Amino acid sequence: MFRDRTLAVLPWIIVSLFVVPLIVGILGTLLPAFGFMPGLAPTVDTGAGVPVAWRGMAAIIGDPRFLPAARLTLFTGVMATGLVLALLLLTLVCVHGTHWWRWVTASLPPLLAVPHAAFAVGLAFLIAPSGWLVRLVSPWPSGWERPPTDWVIPDAAGWSLIAVLVMKETPFLLLAAAAQLPALDVDAALRIGRTLGYSPARCWSRLILPRLYSRIRLTLVIVLVFNLSVVDLAILLGPGNPPTLPVLLMTLVNDPDSRAAASAGAILLAALVVCVLVVSWAGESLTMRMARRRRQSGARGLGLGGGRRFGQSVVLALTFASIGSLLTLPLWSLAQRWRFPASLPTEWTMRHWSGRGDALMSPAGVTLALAITSCLLALLTAVAWLELERRGRARALDWLWYVPLLVPQVSLLFGWQAAALLFGADGAWLTVLHAHWLYALPYVVLILAVAWREHDPQWDHAAAVLGAGYWRVLWRVRLPLLCRPLCQAAAVATAVSVAQYLPTLLLGAGRHQTLAIELVTSVGGVDRRVIAVLAVLQSLLPLVAFVLALLYPAWRSRHLRAGSQRSSLAGSGAGP
Amino acid sequence: MTPLALCVESLCLRLPDGRLIIDELSFRIEPGEVLTLMGQSGSGKSSVLAWLTGTLDRRIQAQGEVWQGERRLDTVPTERRHLGLMLQQDYLFPHMSVGDNLMFGLRGGDRASRRRRVEESLAGAGLAGMTDRDPATLSGGQRARVSLLRTLLSEPCALLLDEPFSRLDTALREQIRAFTWEAARELPVLLVTHDLADVPSGARILTIGESGTEPARLVAQQSGG
Repeated sequence: MFRDRTLAVLPWIIVSLFVVPLIVGILGTLLPAFGFMPGLAPTVDTGAGVPVAWRGMAAIIGDPRFLPAARLTLFTGVMATGLVLALLLLTLVCVHGTHWWRWVTASLPPLLAVPHAAFAVGLAFLIAPSGWLVRLVSPWPSGWERPPTDWVIPDAAGWSLIAVLVMKETPFLLLAAAAQLPALDVDAALRIGRTLGYSPARCWSRLILPRLYSRIRLTLVIVLVFNLSVVDLAILLGPGNPPTLPVLLMTLVNDPDSRAAASAGAILLAALVVCVLVVSWAGESLTMRMARRRRQSGARGLGLGGGRRFGQSVVLALTFASIGSLLTLPLWSLAQRWRFPASLPTEWTMRHWSGRGDALMSPAGVTLALAITSCLLALLTAVAWLELERRGRARALDWLWYVPLLVPQVSLLFGWQAAALLFGADGAWLTVLHAHWLYALPYVVLILAVAWREHDPQWDHAAAVLGAGYWRVLWRVRLPLLCRPLCQAAAVATAVSVAQYLPTLLLGAGRHQTLAIELVTSVGGVDRRVIAVLAVLQSLLPLVAFVLALLYPAWRSRHLRAGSQRSSLAGSGAGP
Repeated sequence: MTPLALCVESLCLRLPDGRLIIDELSFRIEPGEVLTLMGQSGSGKSSVLAWLTGTLDRRIQAQGEVWQGERRLDTVPTERRHLGLMLQQDYLFPHMSVGDNLMFGLRGGDRASRRRRVEESLAGAGLAGMTDRDPATLSGGQRARVSLLRTLLSEPCALLLDEPFSRLDTALREQIRAFTWEAARELPVLLVTHDLADVPSGARILTIGESGTEPARLVAQQSGG
């Protein structure tokens, strides 16, 4: 056991490691935006007569690309979030309670595990004019002998970006909602509501959804912030001219002359996010009030009827499309020759894997090292914090861990990068690791917090009574009993780290080429098959982590059971 | 709709493992009559209620018909059967006030008249002025009464009770029983219970699954009038 003084300091160390980058990051974006830039080259005086403090703002607002980019960001972000919410409701009302529900929920963890960039590449391979979907229906029954020219991916209006956001974020929200359903006693609500004369759809909308919504509101806000501020997906599948606002800011940030403009733009992006949140909050209270009036009205109305079938079809089609997007990746990575209308590659090869071993090993190694280290550190921090909390040495600060997920990444990382440049820490492995840890920790703490607080302390007491000290109880009793959530948290942390693009790019100074960076930069220029290899490799790491997280606890308990069978046999053999 | 007799004809329920838990059960309940279904837990008495309301577990095979007058109920969805259901728990919805819970049950009428009817029914149950209360602040007896009012306001043609008194304190039970029989005096009532004290005087009792392991054939006993 540590001495008391160490225990008193430890919470402060953890909170500082977490909070200091947040504060430095926000200040580091805010100050340059208003003309104060220690360590960075001063802005060129373009706007004569504009005070220095406002030159950044003036430059970004005066940029002809700014308004269209902001409008596009607003459209794609809000539309994608709205569709995510709509799909969630559709899935709950139409699929929950049918045998498809198990199917759909089983597909969620792998869809969540696959990194954003790899998923986006897979989706592009699926829905492009020369993509798998078109190939599957060509030349018969579509009649296409060559790729159709009716659409392009990415499109100028932003629908491809919306599609990938919806397909990647709906599983996230659905999993959060599914975790809440047991607490809401859905079956009883449906039973009571239906005997009172309401159709199942109305039981959902009047009895279950109002209570579910307040429990997933924060997750929905995280999705909204992500959709408004995403960079890697917008580079891959967003429109190019103009790009979305975060992508536009990325083109400005590394030029010292436009650093102030980029920072000002990041502040405006954060302001945009706040505005959308305020408007959606107003819309939410209005909807709540209307929903209450509808509940009081007692109107029974008609059921969904055939609409339920339709909803099921939509959800299943999207689930299959998501799985199809993932399947295109290994296909392309092994394709030697895949002429247009053929449904599958006509010749196969391992050449894209074996021939580029060296070029793949290096980014895979960098990715793996960052993922494993940040995962272990996040686990260590989370366990330390939750133990301190349990022993009354630290307070529950659940809201704090959400902060990195609620601030647009560019708004935080521009400042963090500026500070790193100032202190000469940019490009250092530790700086990059710090950022990965910061983005993985929220998920780890929040997953483990649930398990930690539900865990029955009687186990610890029982062990302590047997004479085990604190460390022995922790190591031999508490951690093994919480093996399953620990493994889940580790898998999620790995997936989060492998998917990180912006932190590595901005803080790494080009010295840490992860698979995410390689993938995003190679799209557009390189052969499809080479891109597919990178995407498969990037997806494999978190998928393996998820499989291990599933298998290891199962293996442990089976091992134990097998062991007890052996010993009971041995016992009976040794009997008289 | 004026209440008519509730008739169940030749109900058979078979578990997924092939065991027949209810074999050829038939009964008729007149308006104002209480039929009590008794049996040990696992005898299938709650499954009978679930089948009547149309919420039976899909893995249980069911055969049989329910009729009320000219209406056949077992072929229409739950929400159109007009059967009031009361369970062990009161299931007052926590996101609605007491009044809103009742309004949710109440059928028809404009806004003002709906509100008036809810307040009248609360007053009639000794709960005047509780309209805007949070259900969580109510006592167990109050909750049970509100739950029953909600069911009755939905104008059921029959009332099905699944051990509705078992969670109440013994002191309260008698009071809520009396309240229930008074409120339901014009409806056919099917009561499922394992406590003889729940059975109102003069009620018929059907005992199912008496002989435990034997393929549970219905044992009908007449008691009282």
